[in-house]
Parts: sequence; C-alpha cells; structure tokens
Amino acid sequence: MERRDFLKISALGGATAALEGCGNPDHQLIRFVPEEDLVPGLATWKPSICTLCPAGCGLIVRVMQGEAEVVRHGQLGLLKMGLAKKLEGNPAHPINQGKLCPRGQGGLQVTYHPDRIKNPLQRTGPRGSGQFQEITWDEALKQLVSQLSPLQANKSGQLAFVTSPLHGLRKNIVGNFTASFKNAQVVEFALFDGGVIRAANSASFGVNAPPTVNLSQSNYVISFGADFLGTWNSPVAQSIGYGQMRQGRPGQRGKFVQVEPRISQTGATADEWIPAQPGTEGIFALSLAHVILREKLRPATAAGHAGSLIEGWSQGLPDYAPEKIETQIGVPAATIARIAREVAGHEPAVALIGDAATAQTNGLFNALAVNALNALLGSVGKPGGIQFGPAWTPQVAKSASSESEKSVAHSVQKLAEQIHSAPDAVKVLLVYNANPVFATPATWQVREAFEKVPFIASFGSFVDETSALADLILPDSSPLESWLDDAPISGSAKTVASLAPPAMNPLHNTRSMPDVLLDVAHQLGGDPAKALPWKTYDEALKAAFAALYKEQGTRSAKDADEFWTKAQDQGGWWSAEEKGIVPSGGKAGGAPAKSAAPEFDGAPGEFSFHFLPFASQLFYDGSLAHLPWMQEAPDPLSTVMWGTWVEINTQTAAKLGIQQGDLLEVASQHGKLQAPALVTPGIAPDVVAMPVGQGHENFTRYASSRGANPISILASMTVGNTSSLAWAATRVKVSPVGRGTMVLFGGSMSEAPPELRHR
Amino acid sequence: MAHQWGMVIDLDKCTGCEACVVACHAENNIATVGEDQAGRGRAKHWIRVERYYEGEFPDVKTKFMPVLCQQCDAAPCEPVCPTFASYHTSEGLNGQVYNRCIGTRYCANACPYNVRFFNFYNPVWEKPLHLQLNPDVSVREVGVMEKCTFCVQRIKAGEIQAAAEKRDVKDGEIQPACVQSCPTTAMVFGDLSDPHSQVSRLARSNRATKLLGELGTLPKVTYLQKDSWHGAEDA
Repeated sequence: MERRDFLKISALGGATAALEGCGNPDHQLIRFVPEEDLVPGLATWKPSICTLCPAGCGLIVRVMQGEAEVVRHGQLGLLKMGLAKKLEGNPAHPINQGKLCPRGQGGLQVTYHPDRIKNPLQRTGPRGSGQFQEITWDEALKQLVSQLSPLQANKSGQLAFVTSPLHGLRKNIVGNFTASFKNAQVVEFALFDGGVIRAANSASFGVNAPPTVNLSQSNYVISFGADFLGTWNSPVAQSIGYGQMRQGRPGQRGKFVQVEPRISQTGATADEWIPAQPGTEGIFALSLAHVILREKLRPATAAGHAGSLIEGWSQGLPDYAPEKIETQIGVPAATIARIAREVAGHEPAVALIGDAATAQTNGLFNALAVNALNALLGSVGKPGGIQFGPAWTPQVAKSASSESEKSVAHSVQKLAEQIHSAPDAVKVLLVYNANPVFATPATWQVREAFEKVPFIASFGSFVDETSALADLILPDSSPLESWLDDAPISGSAKTVASLAPPAMNPLHNTRSMPDVLLDVAHQLGGDPAKALPWKTYDEALKAAFAALYKEQGTRSAKDADEFWTKAQDQGGWWSAEEKGIVPSGGKAGGAPAKSAAPEFDGAPGEFSFHFLPFASQLFYDGSLAHLPWMQEAPDPLSTVMWGTWVEINTQTAAKLGIQQGDLLEVASQHGKLQAPALVTPGIAPDVVAMPVGQGHENFTRYASSRGANPISILASMTVGNTSSLAWAATRVKVSPVGRGTMVLFGGSMSEAPPELRHR
Repeated sequence: MAHQWGMVIDLDKCTGCEACVVACHAENNIATVGEDQAGRGRAKHWIRVERYYEGEFPDVKTKFMPVLCQQCDAAPCEPVCPTFASYHTSEGLNGQVYNRCIGTRYCANACPYNVRFFNFYNPVWEKPLHLQLNPDVSVREVGVMEKCTFCVQRIKAGEIQAAAEKRDVKDGEIQPACVQSCPTTAMVFGDLSDPHSQVSRLARSNRATKLLGELGTLPKVTYLQKDSWHGAEDA
C-alpha cells in the first residue's frame, strides 16, 4: 500500500467516526488529502490521448483540484482530487499539432457521464433487460476466471474476444491473452473500419495501411467520397493541411473537387461538387486516367505496379473514354476531360477515396482505380500526395501476438454465423469498446447469436445494446483515468508512439481493461500467465518503451528510464525525421482488376432510392451519441440537434409532395424506419441519406430511444474480396406517413425563413 | 494603450466542423438544455456555424460561416440596457455583468447578430457532469442574459501572466477556446491596436468584410470571404 492510500483510508475512517452521529451519510467529509502535484486554484496540464476514433490525436488535459462525491471503500464522501476540466490538442504531437475536432473536445463528458457504470455488474434479469446488480471486483474476477479456466484446461478454445481495432501495446496484450487459449479468436469490429483501403493499398503499393495525407503542399485535391475533413482517416491532421492548402501559401491556392452523390461536410467546402452515380467512383477515376494517357500528359508506365493491376491500363484504358461512360457516371464527358487536364496540370495533385465510395460492392475496385490514378500522377510517397508513415509496433510480447494476427481475419458477421450453426462454437465472449449489436445490419443476427453464447463479459463503461446482453460487466476506467498508448498508422509521416499516464484518478470503482486482463491471466496461471508476465499495464508499457529506446530513441535520452519519463511528459515519443515508407509495389501476379459494376440490394423499380448512411460529424459511428454536448451541437449541414433526419432532394420532394419535417418511412427489403425529412439541394434526386449515430435502444439517458438507426435496415452485402460491410449498397423506398418533429438550430434564429423554423 | 481584442475568421479555411462550438461549451460552462427547450429556440451556442446553400442541384455551392458576438465598437446591445449590465470595456469588449442583469432582454432584441442567450431556467448538470465546470467562468442563473466574452478569463490570465513577467502580451499568446481548437486555423485572435499583430495584418486583407457592416455597428470580428480557384488560366 502506498503512503497516500493509507492516509486516505485512515482519514476516511476518522471522518466516519467523527460524523457518525450526524445522520446524513451523503454529506460525510473525507478529510482533505491533497494530491501532491496540485495547488488549489492552479491548473496543471497533463498529456493524454484521444481514443474516440482511430486517428490517435494527442491531448493535453487541464487538471485542477475539485471536490468530487465519490465512493471509496464502500463509503460515499466528498474527496478533493485532481479533476480534468478541459481537453486541448497537444501542440507537440505530430498528428494534431494542438488542434482538436468537436468529438475530441467532447471527450471530457465520457469521464463525467452520469450513467457511467460505477461498479462491476452481474446480470440479474433476462438478457437485454438491463437488470444488473453491483458486485465487488473480487467476485467479478472470480466469476470470469471460473468461466475461462475450463477452456484453458480442455484446450478446446471456444473463446472469442470482440474489440474495436486496437493499436499499440493494447493490441499485443489482447492478442497474447487470447492466443494463450487454443483456437480462440480476436474479432476486431468497427463500422468504419478502413479495411477496403488497407486491402487496396496492400495490393497497389505493398503497404497494408491507410494513407497519410498532408495536403499543405497539394495544389489539386480530388476526393471520391472521402469525408476527410470530418470523420475519415485522420481528420484533424488532414484539416491542418487543408487550411495550409487554401490560404497558407501566398498567391497559391489549391483546388479541391469532391465527387459524391450527397454533399458531406467535407464536400461543402469544395470548389466544385460532382454528384457522380453511387458506385461509379472507380470508373470515374479511370476515365480521368484515360484522358491523361490519351492526351499524353503522363506515360502509362508512370503508374507502375498500381497501374498494371487495372485491366487495359497499358492499352490506355480504351473502355473508360469519358464519351463512353458519361451516362453511366452521370457526369458530362466535357467535365471529366476538363478535370483530367486540371489534375494533371497542377502538381502535386492527390486523389483520395473513402467512406461510401469504398462501401459499395465494388469498393475494392474503386480504391484500386484511385490508387492507379495517384500513381499515374506521381503522387505516391511524396508530400502533397499520399504517403505511408512507418507505424510503431511495440516489441514487447510480439511473437505470440503475431500468431494471433492470423485469427483476426474473422469478422463479426462470420462469428455470428459460427454461433448460429454450432451453439457450442463460443463458450465465452469478451467485448471491449465495440457495439456490434447496434452497428450491424439486423440481417446479420448478431444479437440473436450473442444471446446463445453461454457467458458474455463486457468491459463497457456504459450499458449499450451489446453490453446489455452481458452476464458480467467489468467497467473500464475512462481514457483520462487510464494508462494509454497508441501507435497511429496514419496522419504523420513520422513514427509516433503516444504514451500517457492517467490524467486523474478514477472517479468510480472501475479498472482499466489491460490491467484486468493481466490480473485474470495471473489468476489463471499456465499459458496466459506465461504470455503476460506483467503485474500492471504500466509495467508492460515501460518494458515496451525500453525496447523502443534501444531500437530508436538512443539519441533522445541518456538511458531507458529517462526516455520513459520524457515520453510521459510530452505525451509520447516520435521520430525527428519524416521517414515515409517507399511503396514496394505490392504483390506481383494475380489477374488485373476488371471493372465491376456495383450491385445494389432491392429492385430499382420498387426501391427507387439509393440509401446512403453517413458518419455523423458529432456521433461518429454512434459511439458518441451518449454525450449531451454532441447531442446539442447542431449538425454542420442540417443544424439538427437531439435527433435524426432523412435528406431528400428539393425537386424530388416537391414531386412526391414531401415537405420539410414530414415523417418519412424508409423501407429496404430487410426492414424499415421512420425519420423526419430534411429537404436539401445538396443531394442527387435518386438518393436519400441519413446520419449514423442515433436510434439507440439502450445507451444512457441522453441517447436511448432517440431517432432511428440506418444501419439496422441495411442488406447484408460485403465489399467484394473483403469482409467489410458494403453499407452504401442498399436501395430503399420512401413514403410520407405524417408529420415529424425536428429541432433545427438554424430554425430558431429569428431571421431564418419560416420553413426552417422548428415545428 | 489598452489592447483592442479582435478576431479574423477566414471563410476559405472554415470547414464547418463544429470544433469551435463544442470547445466553447466546454470552456464557458454553457449548459445544454435538452431537446424540448432546444425546440423552443433556447439552446445556447455562443458561437454557431451558419450554413448557406446557393443554387439548385447539381450546381450547388455551400458556405459555412461561424457567427459569435462581434464585440461591436458601436454595439446596439449596450445603450439599451437599463442596468448597465451590457457595457463597453476599456479593451473594447462588449461586457456582460451577470449580477447587474435583470433580464429585460432588450439587448437580445437590439442585437442584429442573434448572439445573446437568455437563461429561462437555472442550468442543470446532472451529477457528476458538474465536475467538468471551469472554475474560471461563472455559472449563469435564471433570468440572466449570456453571450460570448472572447474568453475574457483567458485574456485576463494572459495579461496577468505578462504583467507578472513585466512584459507585453505576446501576439498569439492569448487564444479563446474556439481559436485554439480550430483544426484549419481559420480563426485568428489578437490585438487590433498593434498594427503588426497577425490579426491586424489579416484584417487588412482584400477579402476582409464585416458581418452586417452596413448597420454601422463597427464589429471587431472580420470575415475573410471565400476565395476562388485561380489556376484554370495557367493550366
């Protein structure tokens, strides 16, 4: 026991004794025990890491002393402790350079959320009822160990660990833990997982990673559906470059063209918006390449391996002449030819692809086509184009985790199929930081599958659709209360190893997930204990940073200890130079990619609209809908607060007699939902769009039973040759069913035209 | 000479991302009001992002414009206040003294920018959300008008720090929460009385305009209009 803990406990005991007669245990005072580094009234800044999306921005946390009502050792009292007050970007961090997006700004409310799980929970009611009782950590760990040890003894595996995609040492720890059970599997799940882009980059360039995009030196940017200023890849890093591209170089302003059927927040800032038909992004890119080759603006050989992957490349892509495919794309041939000349005439130029363009059934082909265009333009591996930074791979516990890499191939969809076909397939399911029950189509039957699993343990901080099914909840501490590390794979051409100690002590009786795994491994003994020999996560992190010091950091510190301390101070370690990976040209062999027409679920006659779900600027994939700041911040385009909507083209709406705010029923072949209509000119006439994020059945008081979830009605289609969900490939029919309500911030301003006002 | 705080917002860089909006909520203890009250127009956003569409499909242009208190030098909100709660500070800010305010809401009626917000209820932070509150910013109670202060608590802290070190405030040293977070650096804050400050230099840009400048309110926020692409000619 540390001296500080001892003092706290004895202070608590003393206070309890003194106040026993007062009769109001709610107001018992824990005697003032200051945290040694805090002076009342003075703010300290501590580094941390934003974990709300995969970008991995660095944070600094303003910590001040405050009084929190907390339970310690079973006693409620008032404790003076360091409290996080504000998050800012870490100015020294190479990814976000002191800047932050709205979601990052809102991260504080994760820690202080009133509906956080405060103690380990054991399920008492039926699955999904949300009925739990609080238990102690000792009991909780005993239960988990007793469920896991039979799996270990008979070596038959039957453990599945569903987690958000992990980076850094957490990935190794989870991988190692799972790999110590035979046949066990780690299933990484995220709705916006970037798997298609990684697969395409692996084929074209030999790098299995999303690109790093530094636009500060770009003169021409053409983006096929990528919401790169909002939610795609590393949005803050990309926004920093974008600002530079626009007005950072006197007299030199880059052009930005966005190709997408609905104006996204990113598309709204473009110089030119081109609403190409959904799924034609790949042939659009090849049509640009055709013109560039035809007019001899670049030689076909410039594209190298990435070009050779496309059928007909060396012949000059005759099938993709703008005149031949203009009606298919829905863009005049003259426009395509003009864009091609512009993009070839303004080096450095870059083409980006992401989001819906890679979530069509032909998404992989689209991405390969854009890769070939980039290669033709000479934009690969250069500033102003796409680059690939060498990511940090923690060397600690690496061997076992590389074995477990093999099992990562499984998807949640396959896991659900496995369970449905053989109920014994998974005996114990662990869930960390993922909500697949919410973020998968109902047709995948993930909920039904999980209900069949004999034992589920969740590390959730909140009861959501997935953790509501758990038998045991082992609440994770919030990121600000935990040891954090990260190895961002894009956003900077430097190698980045982010590191942060907890910015504050846990408010509640929670424990950090890796610490719990280490504890469980220790209690299990045998293979898990051998695979994870550390007592605590920070011990493991220290070992990982000692390895990083030997490998990279000997110039920046005199020994491993100093390296470790310095990294904690500044929020991590990053290389001094930008060492981009030189693309190796990918795997040779294999048939060149043929143009694949996108497939859509639902006959065009009956289901007359493409259905386009999109990542919400405020809720991301729905995992942030529980934060009141995110709910009340108006959406950038619609200005809707606390709700959801369906975007429909102005002329289409007039034709169908749909007015702003009418309640629409949106029906696919697999389900239907209702949401109010938002009439906008910024969407193609045959497309309706809906933000992802609302429609939670069960996700705290702020998000539950609010709006509708577009993912639930999607068809079960995957992007060809990958396991990613083709979430933009469903067609729907739309009919007005009455009046809806929608709160528009724009509508509450007195100058707003009456049709925009709240009803 | 007293500082004259001002801001420049480059609409060519603004991406409408809303980071400023959430940063402002976090810094200034702005209470969320919930769906029902928001529907009555009572949501409080000291800074908001306005979005404009121009044209019909497919020739649509979109523009974002962050709007906050313009800290006018001839502010319509100030002379109408019967209790001098709205007043002009020596550093050119449109101050709001909460404990003088009696809630006549004349100032909100007079303001052409719609940036003043009335507290119809006492604010609520469901515990332990109250622990996020910034101790440097007072919490406003029912019956009181509130508005953007240019993060006056940060301005004061910067000035006190500079005075303690016996020096002038450095250009760029003081940043309101919105400016600090802005990913594209579309917003720049500084001293307009210093002709060499970044904000003064940018305010002299040929793209500079004032919001509703024709009303004669003399705003201290300058908008740099969206630029267009000049590259086609040399292609």
